[in-house]
Formats: sequence, C-alpha cells, structure tokens
Amino acid sequence: MPEKLNDRTIFTLSEVAASIRKTLADRYTSTFWVKAEMNKLNLYPQSGHCYPDLVEKTDGKIVAELRSTIWKEDFQRINASFMNVLHEPLKSGISILLCARISFSPLHGLSLAIIDIDPSYSLGELEREKQQTLEMLRKEGLFLSNKSLVPAVIIKRIAVISVQTSKGFSDFRKVIDGNGWGYRFFYMLFPSLLQGEHAAEAMIAQLKRIEKVRHHFDAVAIIRGGGGDVGLSCYNDYNLAREIAMFPLPVITGIGHSTNETVAEMISFKNAITPTELADYLIQKFHNFSVPVQRACDVIINRFAARMKDEKLRMLNFARYFKSVTLANLAAGRGNLQQEFRVLAQQTVRLFQVSRANHSLILSELRKNAMSEISAGNRQISQAGFSFKKDVLSLISHAAWRVDGNLSQLEKAARRSLSADQLRLEEAVHGLRQQTTRFIAEENHTLNMIEKNVDLMNPVNLLNRGYSITLAGGRVVRDISGAREGAELKTLVSDGEIISIVKNTHKTEQP
Amino acid sequence: MKEQPSYTEAFEELQEIVSEIEQGDISVDELSDKVKRAAFLIKTCKNKLTSTEGDVMAILRELETGEGTGEKQD
Repeated sequence: MPEKLNDRTIFTLSEVAASIRKTLADRYTSTFWVKAEMNKLNLYPQSGHCYPDLVEKTDGKIVAELRSTIWKEDFQRINASFMNVLHEPLKSGISILLCARISFSPLHGLSLAIIDIDPSYSLGELEREKQQTLEMLRKEGLFLSNKSLVPAVIIKRIAVISVQTSKGFSDFRKVIDGNGWGYRFFYMLFPSLLQGEHAAEAMIAQLKRIEKVRHHFDAVAIIRGGGGDVGLSCYNDYNLAREIAMFPLPVITGIGHSTNETVAEMISFKNAITPTELADYLIQKFHNFSVPVQRACDVIINRFAARMKDEKLRMLNFARYFKSVTLANLAAGRGNLQQEFRVLAQQTVRLFQVSRANHSLILSELRKNAMSEISAGNRQISQAGFSFKKDVLSLISHAAWRVDGNLSQLEKAARRSLSADQLRLEEAVHGLRQQTTRFIAEENHTLNMIEKNVDLMNPVNLLNRGYSITLAGGRVVRDISGAREGAELKTLVSDGEIISIVKNTHKTEQP
Repeated sequence: MKEQPSYTEAFEELQEIVSEIEQGDISVDELSDKVKRAAFLIKTCKNKLTSTEGDVMAILRELETGEGTGEKQD
C-alpha cells in the first residue's frame, strides 16, 4: 500500500509497475494485428526465444520503436509457415504483419508479445521489395549494364562464386572438366554464402575481390544448387543486384531453383538457370568458336585440294594442247620440207636430164662421126679383103693352074702374103683408133674454145668486169662525137643503168 | 608469322582467308602462303581452346597485396 507522508502519497516502483500492468491488462484485453518492420530478429539459439526489434519508419526515419518477444513454440510454428509460403525463414529486415498483445513486465518493461505473423503479407512485401529493386536499377539505367558488355569470344577463365561443397558447383565442374572436346577452362572459387540473410553481403564482398583481379578472368559465374528453394530473396537485394549490374565482367548465374526469376538473374549477363546449363553455355561458346575454325580448316583443305586438282588438270590440258600444236607444226614443217625436197629433186632431175640430153647429143654426134670413120675403115678393109681374096683366088687359080708347081713354094708365098696383110690390117685398125680419139679430143677442145669465146663476148660479163656501155638516143656511143654537150646519156652497168647529162667532151691525146 | 594474334584477330583473319578461298579469287602463288597462314591461325585458335590459362598463385598474390591493375587482358 502507498505510504502517506506530509500530504504526499508515495508509491513503490513495483506498485507503479503493477498499476501500469493492471491498467494495460484492463485496457488491452485482446490480441490485435500490427504491421511493422522487423529490424532485427534477435534469435537466442540457446533458449529458442526471439526478441525482435520492431520499428516504423517515415522517410527513412524511425518514428516508433518497440521491443517484442516470440516464444520458442510460436517462433517454430511461424518459421515453418514462412518456409512454406515464402521459401524464406523469418529474418531481419522485412516488413511483417504480426498478431500480438501488449505485455508489460515490471522487469523488462513494455513489449509486444507476438503470437503469430502472417507470411502472405511478407510475401507481398518481398515482391514489393523486388519490384523496388528493379525500379531503382531501371531508374539508374543499370538494368542492361551487365547484359551489354561484350564478352570474350571464348569465356575461358571464370571466377566462380559458390561453395566448395555445393552440389551445383560439383555439377558445373563435372561438365566443364569432363568435356569431350578437350576444351580447357580455368576457374577459381571465391567461396560465399549463397542463400539466407548474409548471402548478399558475402557475395558482394567476393565480387569486390574478383574486381581487383578481374584481368585474370573473362566472366563471373554465380553457382548454387542442391539447396532447395529456400533463402533466395538475397538475389533480389538491391545492393547485390546493383553490384552485378555494374560489374565490369559478364556475370552468369546458375542458381538452380524453380521459383520466379530473381533480380540478380534478370540483370546478369546471362541466366543459365542451372549450374549444368551454365557449364553447357560456356562449352557452347567454345563450340561457336571451334566449329567455324574446324569448318575453316575443312574448307581450306577441300578448296586447296580442289584448286590443286584444277590447276593440275589445266596444266595437263595445256601440256596436251602444247604437244598437239607442236606436233602439228612439226608435221606441217616436215610436209613443207618434203615438198621442197621433192621440188628440188625434180629440178635436179630435170637439170640432169637437160645436161644428159646435151651430152648424148654431143655423144651421138661424136658416135656418128666415129661410125662414119669406122664404116669408111671397114669399107677399106673389106675392099682390101676383097682384093686380097681376088689375089688369093687368082693365086689359087694360078696355083691350080700350076698344080704340079711348087706347092710348098706357093704355100710359103701365101703364108708370107697372109701375114703381111694381117700386119697391115692391124696397123690400119690401130691408126683408125688413134685418129678417132684424136679427132674427139680436138672436137672437144674446139667446143671449149668456142664456149670461152662466146662467154668473153657476152656484154654482161664485160659489164661485170667494170666496162660499161653508154647510149645516147638509143645508139652506142663509141667516140666523143656521139655525145654532144647537154645530151642525155644512158650508161648501162652490171646491175642497172645511169642517166647523165654531158657537160663537155675532149679528145684523148693519142700516144 | 612471328606475331601472336589474339584469338579474336586470329579468328577474324581466318574467316577472311576462308571467304577469299571460297570465292576462289586467290592465285595459286598466293594460295600456298594463305594456306600456310590459315594453318597457323587454326593452330592458334585451337590452342586457345585447349591450352591452360590462369595462374591461381598470381591471383592470390594480387588479392593479398591489392596490386591488381584492373586492366583487361585478352
């Protein structure tokens, strides 16, 4: 009970506290719904109780602040319903709609005892946050920043933001390291939390580390998987999304979940959805480079071979053509040559024939002369024979006449006479032969002399030797009287004629 | 042939040679050189795909010392 002291009523602190408690209990008889921002969850793992700080902000300023409690059993129930609806546990920094009653403890003062939290309110709140993040990025012109980077032709060096033990990281490595084309990648792990309350901060920190050594990398891959669809709201975090959007290297996401696309995935250079697809995407980039290279290789080989074949064929055709043309030319040349040869042979033959005819003419002339000489000789011989015969006959008759005469004498005489005649005959024949030979030689000599003379007299030869013939008015000029002054003279020389005018004439002094 | 082209350059030059060869407007004399060059480029390109790049130690050193130049290399 309060004391009375000099008109004053004095209460103890516990009396005041009890009074407040009683008043509050009387006034706030039932539970009520409150919307607030849960600044901090303040979960005490030992007891399992939570002591969230609740605030209300206006233009970023705190205008109200109240402590609150969630007892262990309530927290477990609420958390389960959050996981079910939001795929997120209850966490700091979200707006909540809570069901509570006023609680006043003399020891701990005023607080809200939270009995329930509506997860669907927070869901809308998360979605609103996500939209807000997107809107801010758009406003800052960052939404397409990372997408508009020009990536390396082949993304070969990758900074991986993941967890060593992540199933997603393991899937990624399996595809990348086990690719059957021999493509070699370089990747380095920058370990980070990938979900839940502190994931955004952790990932931002690793992005900042990667940025420091970004010249070693072609891209950043954020790889998560196998962790269910829980705690992904960090990927809607404005700061993380902004960091990704502004990152100087392409950021590729393979976060592996079945919920709506997060902001980080939307603004990343490429959202491959799962770690395996992310790896496939990188390999596809290699293919895009490798296939044209292989095609180039094939094209060059084929074209080169075809071209060489063409050239060879062309060369062969040319060689064939060349050969045939050459052969044709040769044949034509040979034909001409044969023609020339024939003409030459014919002319030679004709010349031979002409000269043979001349010869045979001379010969027959000579033969005729010889024959006439011979027949004359023969005639003389037969005449001699005849007279001899007559003599013999007369002798015979004479002998017969004198049969009884000296036969042997007769015979002797006959023989003597015969041998003498024989001798004479032989001499005659010999003389005849000599005469004939001499005659032919003389004739020949004469012919040669005549030919020489004729040749000497040929004016052409005279001209050749330097003599010339001068004509005046068509008459041969023999002395100066034939060439009056002013007359036109025509001088014939070996290869033509010279026309000249007479200037003057003078007589040569005879020696 | 001594220059080491980046793979983008190598790739583009290769495509150029291929289109030239495909159009068939290269003389036989040139063809030989072009094919040699193409072979070199193909080798360069394929090397890029299959060679190992990246030095973990260097990256860690740079992360520790904070000496990253931040320059982009190809």
